[in-house]
Amino acid sequence: MDKFTQTFAPLKLGQVHDLAAARAAEGWRYVQILAVNTEEGIDLVYSYMKDGHLENFTVKAVQKTDVVPSITDVFLEAFVCENEIHDLYDVAIANIAIDFGGMFYQLSSKAPMTVVSPEQLAAREKAKKIAAAKAAKEAAAAQKAAEPAASASAPTGPTEEEIQAKIAGLDPEKAAKVRAAMEAKAKKAAAAAASAPSPAPAATGPTEEEIQAKIAGLDPEKAAKVRAALEAKAKRAQQSAEGKGE
Amino acid sequence: MGKATVIPFGPQHPVLPEPLHLDLVVQDETVVDVLPQIGFVHRGLEKLVETRDYNQFIYIAERICGICATGHSVGYAETVEELMGVEVPKRAEYLRVIWHELSRVHSHLLWLGLAADAFGFESMFMHCWRLRERVLDIFEKTTGGRVILSVVKVGGVVRDIDATQMAEIIATLEGIKDDYTKIMNTLLTDTSVKNRTVGVGYLSAEDAAALSMVGPFARASNLPYDVRSFGRGAYGDLVDFQPIVATEGDCYARVKVRCLEVLQSFDIIKELAAKMPAGPIEVAVKGTPAEGAEASNVLEQPRGECYYYARGNGTKNLERMRIRTPTSQNLAGMTVALKGCDLADVNMIILTIDPCISCTER
Repeated sequence: MDKFTQTFAPLKLGQVHDLAAARAAEGWRYVQILAVNTEEGIDLVYSYMKDGHLENFTVKAVQKTDVVPSITDVFLEAFVCENEIHDLYDVAIANIAIDFGGMFYQLSSKAPMTVVSPEQLAAREKAKKIAAAKAAKEAAAAQKAAEPAASASAPTGPTEEEIQAKIAGLDPEKAAKVRAAMEAKAKKAAAAAASAPSPAPAATGPTEEEIQAKIAGLDPEKAAKVRAALEAKAKRAQQSAEGKGE
Repeated sequence: MGKATVIPFGPQHPVLPEPLHLDLVVQDETVVDVLPQIGFVHRGLEKLVETRDYNQFIYIAERICGICATGHSVGYAETVEELMGVEVPKRAEYLRVIWHELSRVHSHLLWLGLAADAFGFESMFMHCWRLRERVLDIFEKTTGGRVILSVVKVGGVVRDIDATQMAEIIATLEGIKDDYTKIMNTLLTDTSVKNRTVGVGYLSAEDAAALSMVGPFARASNLPYDVRSFGRGAYGDLVDFQPIVATEGDCYARVKVRCLEVLQSFDIIKELAAKMPAGPIEVAVKGTPAEGAEASNVLEQPRGECYYYARGNGTKNLERMRIRTPTSQNLAGMTVALKGCDLADVNMIILTIDPCISCTER
């Protein structure tokens, strides 16, 4: 019992007839010829079978100006497929053994299988858009993954510019109220900071928030170095404080 | 020899259920050349893949032909499954083969009735179609449909046959088998039938092989090609499958091969029903066929090998769906078988080839 297998292989237009003759000489069966309408031209697929192995050979992008050689002198039974491809796809096929000259099918329009319907066009455009959106999403995800440190240290809340932009979009009265509330909040925070006991070394230097904001503005590698240096410094300070306590 | 005359045969003719035209070149009542033509009812169904997604198109595929409907739905589903790398549960494969073989039985019984009617054996026509009705009853009980079953889907089947129903089917088939055997023996031994068929429309094994012929037409010329012998799906679990062949290559051989294939289908159904595995009948199919992905497939329809091809384009619609039917493949062989015959035998030869123009004009 032969096992069924199938393969697909490319074929050049000039090799179509030679391949058919070779396959016939080797005892292969002719199976079929089909055409596919593509943006580049018409693809032709020739199929042969022997001992359960089905071979499909694809001739890519046959143009209107190309003339395809008929294989009906080798396989007479191919006249049905060749006439069909001529009528439905307007592919010129030379020397068909039983040639109906374009009258094989009674058609209302010429080469109907080459007409791209609005539905097909819409489906193709939709597929392209989906593919583009997917690619953009993947690119964004990759970029985000490449900058984990920077994104992790970035402030989670809105920036000052974003807040100002939002306020600018409000009506003047509301904007004034929001600004007043923000100023009050800032004053309250400053008063709380002044009243709280601050550690001696940090009293004169920049606050923790200022440092973090500066680090966020750096490039990721430098930010990581600065952070490591700060941690080492904090550790040293802690060790020296413990030493003094002893 | 007299003067050559061209006699048109069809597309409308009492023996033709579907439109097929032949230009018969006749000399002294002998056909010396034939030019076949189809194309009167071309429907462009393959173009509909643009507007139907790959799950919906199966219903278009099985409407290509009322007689080969189940085969087309199975062939299409297998091709898309190959395209998307879907593995179908074993039970679904068995169910598909059982329905497909039942379709072969009803197709061959339909054909046998038409052939008998063509040479004036009208009571045989009635008996064949009476038995066919009982097969259609099985379809109705198991699927709800008598001709278009809509029971196959991409990924499996939509209905199961339980053990009780299966036992009923086997009992019905046993009853049909008894009646059918009597009819078959009558047909194959009747002198009038032999007078019309023996030695008529001869096609040699060499010609059948050279013309890449398929189905019972080829097997009657001693060409043992049957896609079922590749053992794909549930066919692989049959203990022994041998294509039924005859050596005579004439109309009688073609009648005999189809008659015996009905009995072979009964045996296949009975064996698979006994071996039916438990389990699911479908798998979920997600995603869409990849852009540029291709798959081809062959399936043994009642009239012979049918070729299917699908190409994806990254959307839920296929870029291309192609079906090359057995009749399309056998047209060249038909012209060879007709050459040299009497004009009065043309209808008999055409019927024993069993052309299916609906399939060919998909």
